[in-house]
Amino acid sequence: MDYTSNMEKVFQKLGDLKSFFIYGQKIVPVMQKIVDFMQDTVPLLENVNQSIQDSTSKIPKAAVQINNVTSATEVATTEILDIVDAISSDVQTIKTKLELLKNKIDKQKDIISRLTLSVKENKIACEIINNELIPEFVGDELVSMVNMIDKIHDGVMNITISLQVQDITAQQLSSVNHLIHAVQEKLSSLVMDLNNKEVKEVPDIAYQVAESGSFNPDARYNKDKESQTLADTLVNNQIKKPSQEEIDKLFSKP
Amino acid sequence: MALKFLIVDDSVTMRRIVANSLKTIGHEEFIEASDGREALQKLSIDESINFVITDWNMPDVSGLELVKSIRANQNFGKIPILMVTTRGLKEDILEALQAKVNNYIVKPFTPQILREKIEQIVSSVG
Repeated sequence: MDYTSNMEKVFQKLGDLKSFFIYGQKIVPVMQKIVDFMQDTVPLLENVNQSIQDSTSKIPKAAVQINNVTSATEVATTEILDIVDAISSDVQTIKTKLELLKNKIDKQKDIISRLTLSVKENKIACEIINNELIPEFVGDELVSMVNMIDKIHDGVMNITISLQVQDITAQQLSSVNHLIHAVQEKLSSLVMDLNNKEVKEVPDIAYQVAESGSFNPDARYNKDKESQTLADTLVNNQIKKPSQEEIDKLFSKP
Repeated sequence: MALKFLIVDDSVTMRRIVANSLKTIGHEEFIEASDGREALQKLSIDESINFVITDWNMPDVSGLELVKSIRANQNFGKIPILMVTTRGLKEDILEALQAKVNNYIVKPFTPQILREKIEQIVSSVG
């Protein structure tokens, strides 16, 4: 009885083995295809790996170039501000001189009108005084020149306001540099995993990445008043009238 | 009342623009600091400073940290603070107000806005 049972088990196992071999025959071509595919893929992966290494080693150069752009625009903006200051100062000087001139002319007009009164019997003298000494248009011209100077001053101020774009773009570029640095770190760790070797550093390239708190990635040069209006609303809701004691404390000089 | 401003910004350009704007609206007295740490040093040395204009995003000690440090200080904790920043989101403004800034300007700004905010602060305290 035991002998029969054991033989049945052996035949069953042989049957399983046969099924396994049949299955193996079917799977071997598939396995061969996978091996062929892997053989084809390895050079591709090596290429990818090399590309990642190359790209990663170039990233510091890109970051340095971005930093250079920020520095260059800062220097250029400072130069523009120097020129704007000089123009502003000259314009102010011209305005002051024109206003002095206008005052002098007004005084002279006053003298002339008194002079005219004193010679009112002499019509020819009156005519000469009124038409030849100080023509009426001189005063008007001066007023118009002062107005033009004011316009130039406003234009100069608008240039200054527009130069705030340098700070805003500098923050955007810092944000880009931060992203680049993050990508480089990820790629470097990928290269480490694939190759077990570190990415070669490009000689003579050292770049600084700004702390994440030192720039606003959402900085925008936007002249619409939406954000300022929101700020005004929130500030106005918050403001409370302080006590006199607080006022005195605030501005008391030591 | 004569105001002496401390302009705090890591950007040379912005410090210059704020200073120019202050001159345009008739305020000639100011000193500068390039981050929060330097600002705190200047405040502790120069007791004549009675108004702070600060940026938010700066290295080392940020504008918000500066505001909190000023408010926690017994000697100059009550000094008026105007924040001038690119951060215009509601949560940013509320965070700054919670830290007790007196007023808030979103860049880019004009000298007129600067004047308006300074006058608002001065009138709200006297």
